[in-house]
Order: sequence, then C-alpha cells, then structure tokens
Amino acid sequence: MCKTCGCSVTPGSGAAVDVLQNLLAANDRVAKHNRQHFDAHGVLAINLMSSPGAGKTALLEATIAAMRNQYRIAVIEGDLETENDAVRIRAQGVPAVQITTGGGCHLDAELVHQALHELPLAGLDLLFIENVGNLVCPASFDLGQHLNVTLLSVTEGDDKPAKYPVIFRASDLVVLSKTDLLGVMEDFEPARAEAALAALGGGTPMIRTAARRAPMLDPWLDWLAQRLAAPRAVSSSRRPLIALGG
Amino acid sequence: MHELSICQALLAQVTAIASARGADAIEHIVLEVGPLSGVDAGLLARAFEVARAGSSAADATLSIETPQVTVSCLSCGARSQTPPNRLLCDACGGYRTRIVAGDELNLRRVELRLRESLPASAVA
Repeated sequence: MCKTCGCSVTPGSGAAVDVLQNLLAANDRVAKHNRQHFDAHGVLAINLMSSPGAGKTALLEATIAAMRNQYRIAVIEGDLETENDAVRIRAQGVPAVQITTGGGCHLDAELVHQALHELPLAGLDLLFIENVGNLVCPASFDLGQHLNVTLLSVTEGDDKPAKYPVIFRASDLVVLSKTDLLGVMEDFEPARAEAALAALGGGTPMIRTAARRAPMLDPWLDWLAQRLAAPRAVSSSRRPLIALGG
Repeated sequence: MHELSICQALLAQVTAIASARGADAIEHIVLEVGPLSGVDAGLLARAFEVARAGSSAADATLSIETPQVTVSCLSCGARSQTPPNRLLCDACGGYRTRIVAGDELNLRRVELRLRESLPASAVA
C-alpha cells in the first residue's frame, strides 16, 4: 500500500484511492467561513425555512417589532425575484439585504457570504436568514447558521413532517404558524403534526405562533431569548443540535 | 434536486485526485448516498452520464452505495435501522436518536488509470 496517500497501487497501470469527502465540501467550506464571521462578532444566525406562504416574513415582522429595542437584529432575505420581503423588513427599522437568486431554489453559503459584506455584523446580536420558500432543497445547504427553524402553517397538511423528513429532522425548532386560523382549518390537528415530528427522532420541539390577527408570540420570543443568552453551541453542519435534557 | 450541480462538484473532486496522482483517466467512482441526504441516487447516476462528457472521467463507471438509515439511541444505546421518516429506537421506542448512517453524500473511492510512462511506484 502506498505510504503517502493509502491508495493501493496495482503494479502496471491502475491505482485505487479511498476517499471520504462530502460532495458538498466546497459549500461547507464557505459555510464554515461564514460561521467564523458570525462567531467573531457574537451574532446568532438563524436559518428560517418553510414552504412558500407559511408566514416566514410575517413572523419576522412581528418578531422584530417585539424585540428591536432589546436586540440588534438584521435579516438576509432570499427569493427568486423581487425585493418585496426586504422592503417589509426595513419598514420595521432594521437592516435587510435581499438576495434574488433568479432561478435558484435555495440559498447557499456563497450567496450568504456575499450578503454578509453588506451588513454591519459588528453591531448585531441576531441575524435571520429567510431562505427561499421550499421544503426540499434548503435542507441540504449549510449557510453557516447556528440554528435551523422550519415553519409549518396550519393551512398546510399536518403530515408534512412525515413527507419531508430531511428538512424537519434537520431543524432545531419547528414553528407552527397561523394558529389563529385553527378554528376554521378543520382538518389540521396539531397533535398529528407533533406526532409526525416526534417520529423523526431527535426531540425537535414544536412551538405555536400567530403573527397577525390575534398575535401569540411569547413562546417563540422566549425560545429566541434563551438561545441569545446561551453560550454559543455551534452546530458544525446543517444538522440539528441535539438538545439533551430539553 | 441539483443532481447535475452535485455531479459537477463530484467531477471537480475526482479530476483533482486524478491529476494529483498523475492519472490520465478515471475508470471507476464509488459514491455513498443516503436516503436522508436530500439527493436521489438514480437521478445522480443519470446526471453523471451527462456531466462526465469531455473530462478525464468520460468513460468512468459509477457505483452508488445507499446505506440504510441507522440511528443510535441516546436513551438505551441500541442501534436500529429505520425508515427515513420514523427514526425511533427499535429496542426501547425512544425518540432521542442520533443518525449514524443514512444521510451521507460522499465520494468514497476513485479508481484511476495511470499514465503508461510513469512507474507505479512514482504514484504518491
């Protein structure tokens, strides 16, 4: 066996090289670099994902309104087209950078890296990265975030966690949104959604929210405050932090 | 989902390995793609047929291993093979599990054809 790289050299013409390298290693390198930037400035970075229309931007508007006097917040927005979401965030008085992907259905570490250069990281406590609305692709691309939060709205099916295991398993928190509509969504059973999520293992919690008509945000705001106060346990990849003991 | 761009990343990795070892062609590539990787092995294999054209992997064959999802239970320590959307411990039913296999998206092995003029011992 070759002493240098461990390959088995067949006398004559062939060589076999054993490798163990993630195919997304290039993205992961940039993600790690982004994470180092966040850590150097003490910024908690949260990747917010969901299907289109589940209420990510509405939740962020309500969150910023509630927290902006206590924490310095900024948002990186991801959409195929328009600056609409960044405009909504800026109307709440915090910086927002809009990434328009054109056709790209998810954000990647390089896009986020470019957006970081437009933000005053040194003056921030909390950065939300609102990913492109999509329950499939964003799950696979590490952006350098510390935490993954996935929204599930009561206007979707309550079996979504069973249908999309990759993204829900990779989440540190699932936020049930639009719960003010539960009274008219007869087919949605929160307990079924919780069971489907629990079946994915990992102990990912689910928190109920309502951002609009009858706002209910306290459990979500408490979760954020706890994460902001905690020593930064950095996830080395997009995979969830296992919250041992709670 | 993005199988073609993942093939491009794959080709960049294998052609770098081939050049570093003085190989003029890649004969065989082995990948490991788990059910929770977010990538479909069948689509990846088809994308590879397209992506490899014109590279040193133009005639390479591809095998894809698809390890089953395996979890380790944080409560009782048992390992269980599970479906992709029900990752509970077989032994105790516990839900606090850690994935030990099934979410891989890895290059595992590259088999190269070395340039005729180089003696085998020069490959380092």
